[in-house]
Amino acid sequence: MEITTWFGTIVTDKDRKISTKECSLCSKNPDSIARHIIDSRPSKASSLQIDLRSTALECGFVDSEEEYETLLRESAIKASKIQISNATTIDIRIIQAVEAIDDIDETTNLLSERLSEWYGMYFPELNLTSEDLAQFVAKHGSKSNLTQDNEWYSIANNSMGAELSGSEEKVIKDFATNLCNLYKNRKEIEDYIMENMEYAAPNLTNIAGALLGSRLISMTGSLERLASLPSSTIQVIGANKALFKHLRSRATSPKHGVIFNHPLIKNAPWWQRGKIARAFASKISLAARIDYYSGEVNDKLSINLDEKIQNIKNTYPYPPGKNKSKN
Amino acid sequence: MDVKEISQGIFELSKGKKKQLATRNLNPGNSVYSEPLVVVDDVEYRRWDVHRSKFGAMILKKFNVPLNPESRVLYLGAASGTTVSHISDIATNGLIYAVEFSSRTMRDLVMLCEKRPNIVPVLADAGQPSHYSHIVEKVDVIFQDVSQPNQAEIAAKNAKAFLKKDGFLLLAIKARSIDTVANPKKIFKEEVKKVTNNFAVEFEILKRSELDPYHEDHLGILARLK
Ligand SMILES: C[S@@+](CC[C@H](N)C(=O)[O-])C[C@H]1O[C@@H](n2cnc3c(N)ncnc32)[C@H](O)[C@@H]1O
Repeated sequence: MEITTWFGTIVTDKDRKISTKECSLCSKNPDSIARHIIDSRPSKASSLQIDLRSTALECGFVDSEEEYETLLRESAIKASKIQISNATTIDIRIIQAVEAIDDIDETTNLLSERLSEWYGMYFPELNLTSEDLAQFVAKHGSKSNLTQDNEWYSIANNSMGAELSGSEEKVIKDFATNLCNLYKNRKEIEDYIMENMEYAAPNLTNIAGALLGSRLISMTGSLERLASLPSSTIQVIGANKALFKHLRSRATSPKHGVIFNHPLIKNAPWWQRGKIARAFASKISLAARIDYYSGEVNDKLSINLDEKIQNIKNTYPYPPGKNKSKN
Repeated sequence: MDVKEISQGIFELSKGKKKQLATRNLNPGNSVYSEPLVVVDDVEYRRWDVHRSKFGAMILKKFNVPLNPESRVLYLGAASGTTVSHISDIATNGLIYAVEFSSRTMRDLVMLCEKRPNIVPVLADAGQPSHYSHIVEKVDVIFQDVSQPNQAEIAAKNAKAFLKKDGFLLLAIKARSIDTVANPKKIFKEEVKKVTNNFAVEFEILKRSELDPYHEDHLGILARLK
């Protein structure tokens, strides 16, 4: 019988004796042994019949127990490294990017609130927020730098805000510049996600869009997980705290799943939303499965979804309860 | 500082009333999880934080430790190697097969393995022993700390495949990973029963004890394969 071991395939005869000639041993090189360890992962534990260590000595693969241990350990470390590297699939990389966006959002909220308080002392009448405010401060610094052609010029002239100059102006400007860079970086990360979702999950991207698609992957932990979920679960991802596996505690958990943020549902009249969500979730589920198992692009999916939604719109043109007849 | 060897390779460092568990550092100068290094009479010890190691807690609960410098060990649920590192200090001439299925966690474990000559990393699911049967030989002791609902079954399968006759199993059972609401005592009783003879192997339970106050709702079991 053939027995799979980390150092090669061992062949034994009826009396369980090793037939050395028929064995195919690995070359004594940790790199190739590592590959063999991964490629030959047994589904049945045939090697339990023999003692690995004494067999390796007996068939001449190693000369001593010490060599056995050293070679095994080195090869196992290499094999683990290859497996770790292979586990970094594209969906796992995208998840990091999605989570980075969440971190940036949290940070920019905090910093822009600070900037608003801080700069408010010098120019309280300026009612800009977030990125607009950051860009304004980064560009102009003190309101006294505004030129006549600036829309804020006259308001600035009558401002009740304090003077801003010197090192004080510099630190606030630098603070605002950093904030601008975070907003810029956020856009770059979004672009990265858009580009890579096309590879990672083309059908899902087609149906749900890159951003919602990547968010669903991030919330479930992997494309594999998403593909394994029934569409009824996909419909409520995000509504349920427990599914926020990768998100740090958010203040409130929404009543509906994240897919309800998609324009397809958000822009539909309220009485159609549940039905559209169900159709949408079931296509998302199908798309994720195709992406995970075959990866081939299936254009019919989105056409099919459009038809379904049109159908819902035609069948339920009016809110329930109002007894209007069709046509 | 007084040093007392309470079991082979396991030390109790004491200063007045304060007592601490420690092992002799196999890789001097380096600590693994920020545990303090203590030098006594030119020997460097690593403090063993029993709050981070169920096996460490078992030692304080007076479990007999079936380990010696030659021990071959299969460790299931090695995580980043907190406990594995101490076993590596003890089984200096032995070998530890450290199984972990999370590749993120394995990253840290591999770095530990590179610094210690007696640990073999295995990235695999402990519920599928055949998947690493081409690597792991028969062992003297199995440690298991996986926090899975089917932990008793995992232990039995691995014992059947890899544990020598009369070999030992040290098992940490987490009540919450089996049932989040039921009474832990009841769960423990059922789990011990499962381990004893529910699956194709039979164990003799040598000791069982809850691991509080070091680990809430955890049970430690020491058993011998019949
Ligand atoms: C509580 S931690 C172990 C801590 C470790 N024993 C220590 O004291 O340093 C449990 C570990 O088991 C791993 N695990 C859970 N189920 C597993 C399985 N089926 N196979 C392998 N590892 C598993 C988890 O990834 C986690 O790292």
